[in-house]
Amino acid sequence: MAIPFPFSAIVGQDDMKLAIQIVAVDPKVGGVLALGDRGTGKSTAVRALADLLPPIQVVKGCAYGCDPQSALAACPDCSRWKSGSKVATESKPVPVIDLPLGATEDRVVGALDLEQALSQGVKAFSPGLLAQANRGFLYIDEVNLLEDHLVDLLIDVAASGENVVEREGLSIRHPARFVLVGSGNPEEGELRPQLLDRFGLSVEVRTPQDLDQRVLVIKRRDAFERDPQAFRESYAADNELLRKHILKARKGLEKVQTSDDLLRTCAQLCQKLGTDGLRAELTLMRASRAYAAILGKKSVTTEHLRHIAPLALRHRLRRNPLDDTGSGARVQRALEEVLGA
Amino acid sequence: MNLAWDDALWAAAALCVDPTGLRGVWLRAPHGPVRDEWLTLLSSLHPALRRLPGHADSERLLGGLDLGATLHAGRAVYQPGVLTQPTPTLLLLPMAERLPDDTAAILGQVLDMGQVNAGRHQAAQDTFIGLVALDESLEDEPPMAGGLQERLGIWLDLRHMGRAGGEDEHTRWLLDSLPSMDLPALREHALNMPLDDVVLRAVCQTADALGVHSLRAALATVRLARLLAALRGSDQVQDEDWGRAARLVLTPRATRVPAPDDQQAAPPEPEHPNESPPEEPPADDALEQTPPDPLPNPPASELQEMAEVLLEAALASLPADVLAQLAQANTPAPSGRGQGRSGTRKPSFLRGTPMPPRPGNPRQGARLHILATLNAAVPRQKLRRLPSHSRAKLAIRTEDFHVHRYAEHSPTCLIFAIDASGSAALHRLAEAKGAVELLLTQSYARRDQVCVIGFRGTQAEVLLPPTKSLVRAKRSLSGLPGGGGTPLARAIEQSLQVALAEKRLGHTPSLVMLSDGRPNVSLQGQGGRAQALEDALTLARAWRSHHLSAIWLDTSARPEPQAQQLALAMGARYVPLPMANSNRMAQAVQAVQSGRTPAAPVAVTRPLWQSPPPAGAAPVWRQPGGA
Repeated sequence: MAIPFPFSAIVGQDDMKLAIQIVAVDPKVGGVLALGDRGTGKSTAVRALADLLPPIQVVKGCAYGCDPQSALAACPDCSRWKSGSKVATESKPVPVIDLPLGATEDRVVGALDLEQALSQGVKAFSPGLLAQANRGFLYIDEVNLLEDHLVDLLIDVAASGENVVEREGLSIRHPARFVLVGSGNPEEGELRPQLLDRFGLSVEVRTPQDLDQRVLVIKRRDAFERDPQAFRESYAADNELLRKHILKARKGLEKVQTSDDLLRTCAQLCQKLGTDGLRAELTLMRASRAYAAILGKKSVTTEHLRHIAPLALRHRLRRNPLDDTGSGARVQRALEEVLGA
Repeated sequence: MNLAWDDALWAAAALCVDPTGLRGVWLRAPHGPVRDEWLTLLSSLHPALRRLPGHADSERLLGGLDLGATLHAGRAVYQPGVLTQPTPTLLLLPMAERLPDDTAAILGQVLDMGQVNAGRHQAAQDTFIGLVALDESLEDEPPMAGGLQERLGIWLDLRHMGRAGGEDEHTRWLLDSLPSMDLPALREHALNMPLDDVVLRAVCQTADALGVHSLRAALATVRLARLLAALRGSDQVQDEDWGRAARLVLTPRATRVPAPDDQQAAPPEPEHPNESPPEEPPADDALEQTPPDPLPNPPASELQEMAEVLLEAALASLPADVLAQLAQANTPAPSGRGQGRSGTRKPSFLRGTPMPPRPGNPRQGARLHILATLNAAVPRQKLRRLPSHSRAKLAIRTEDFHVHRYAEHSPTCLIFAIDASGSAALHRLAEAKGAVELLLTQSYARRDQVCVIGFRGTQAEVLLPPTKSLVRAKRSLSGLPGGGGTPLARAIEQSLQVALAEKRLGHTPSLVMLSDGRPNVSLQGQGGRAQALEDALTLARAWRSHHLSAIWLDTSARPEPQAQQLALAMGARYVPLPMANSNRMAQAVQAVQSGRTPAAPVAVTRPLWQSPPPAGAAPVWRQPGGA
């Protein structure tokens, strides 16, 4: 198995790291979209995501990784458990599934299990990537180059949280709740607004401008390539600490208060920027709350909001051909107007 | 000594030692003796060199079900893809510039992860590959996919090399002795070579000075330099190695020329050298427990010296004209990848170049792909027991149906924005109209759509919505009166609206702006040159941000700087037509569309547009010399 670069060894990229931590604390925030030039370490950060996440409890032997706490019979594997009976569970790392660009529809949604069909003549469903990603993360590199029919499929499943397969004589539905993580270079292609909207936060990734940081990146990367295992071990303690911190923030999340005033500010901000729908407000509020929890605070303040707003709103703005300024600047302007400088 | 060839040989040697670490080479060269010689040499040094199939699909690359063997054996048999290589192997990728984006993405992912993830039935397998991507694209053609370019460590350009040969004696010796060397040990030796901070800083600084921002490039430089040192049989990376590594990795990626002379290598040292260890911003402090590695600041002089050596080496291999080109690097590349007549590609069921078949029902014009359908049905035969009275050999169900798919070139829509203001009318509105008529005839022959926007006074209006009707286009033109102000901002705005609408329909819009570029009416319809220019520039930038192609024909008596400035802001090709007549204008547009530089003016005594050639007939202006 390829060894991922440890999360705690990533230099700089504060927005990116923050966004990933926020979705790790509260997956309901939605996904993360990382946009930026090549060679800035977008994929490295995403692939290191698994470092942050504590293992989850799943129904034993369930190919869809169902939660033992939730209603049973949600998926074909779990329906064999009788209600009221004790369910065997096991602990599993949170899945972070890589969706390759060239993936076929079969591979993504799942298809007839050819092996069983050929050898035993049995009609069985072989779960696809969506099933694997249930309760975890689905990472799409170069998401802006994804084929249209896959985009349609993802938009639908990401909204409903359920994958319905009606093909090849199979009729199966199973839960597919996952957090979308995408990365790409905006110069190579645009994303459909509907797909953009499925991402909770967006970050712009740039190469560190500071010389020392660059040198540090190269040194660490070089050490990693020379001996990945040893390098990972040297950061194991840091990763563990980070994971504990995320766990703590998750526990604290429920207690974080959001005042009505703050909600009103959220709404004002979104109104000012003319974002469509209420998803922007919801995401902004959830992300700010998770941010407050990460900082160990008991309530969300306007400072938190100020920090999170660019991440949560930047990609939801309507393109205005007259306004050349980056969407980040527009969010800043609206922030200043609503919150005061 | 032929430095470039010498470098190319060292690159080949380094690639053989560590294909995986360098990720490979992007080799730009036409098919010819130079490339052949380099490849012959590479394959003699690296016998494991394998050729990837030209239009490999993902199944061949990543592996998948082997249908024949599966049916034969009665159980699923999987075959590994070409990308799965258990030992360090170089893969030869011919015609890399024609590689579809999705295949390039797959290759990039495999290079990044070092493993092949074929499918749910096969566990991810480690792989050790490097790519030798052969790119034969010409100057005006799009090269290999950017994502893949970026990942390959070495960039070699043999396009301008007249002949191979002329390497150093030392290089000859190296190539002769390489086959007998223990390559894995050499690689290990290279990787463990010590690096000090001074050198790393110098590499980063040089990359920065050349405008190379990707950190992959800096990493590849470091890796390559150590390999080169190991190949020399040395224990230490020396200036020679750094120079060569910089020439092979950094220089070809350069996007700008470093500031001249004294500032050239002056390190952009922070004001207070002792404060430079990276400080994590407060937001992350709580989480980022890693103390930043201590970076002792090297003496400035040593660093400067090192950076100078590197930069000098890097610049040594740049021919003078490249430097000149880089100096003008601010000139935007013509926007839009599918510029001009070809249009962009879109999928179709009916016509175009074939694409892999997809499951679907043969209706709405889609045709059944018989082979793919059979392929889909065959593995499922055991499941579908045919009734005993059936005489069919194969049980095919609707879900097996695959249909043909094609990629179709989308039609181009030419948008003409015609300046009918007083200043322009004075000069030659008539000529402009004539040119447009010529182009219209030509577009008609090509089945392009055309749209005409006229602007004068305070308004820009769509005189002719996108159409293929030549008659209507001509009528709308003849009715175009002249005189009034120049509301350029309005015109660009209007064009942008039409262009975006066309783009949504799947067409490829392309703007032809005929104007003298002297706006004097603002977006609000107010007079005033300053505000008018400001608005026009803003909209021009908006145009460019949409990656739409455009050409600006300057109709003023002599080239107008403002028009140039606006064309630059739009990302448009600027063609001044100081002595123009209609014919020349038509030629210019045609030349730009087909990617050539505009031809010299052709003396035509009779304005051709008065009697346009019949549609379909070979237009006269195609042969500049023949008219």
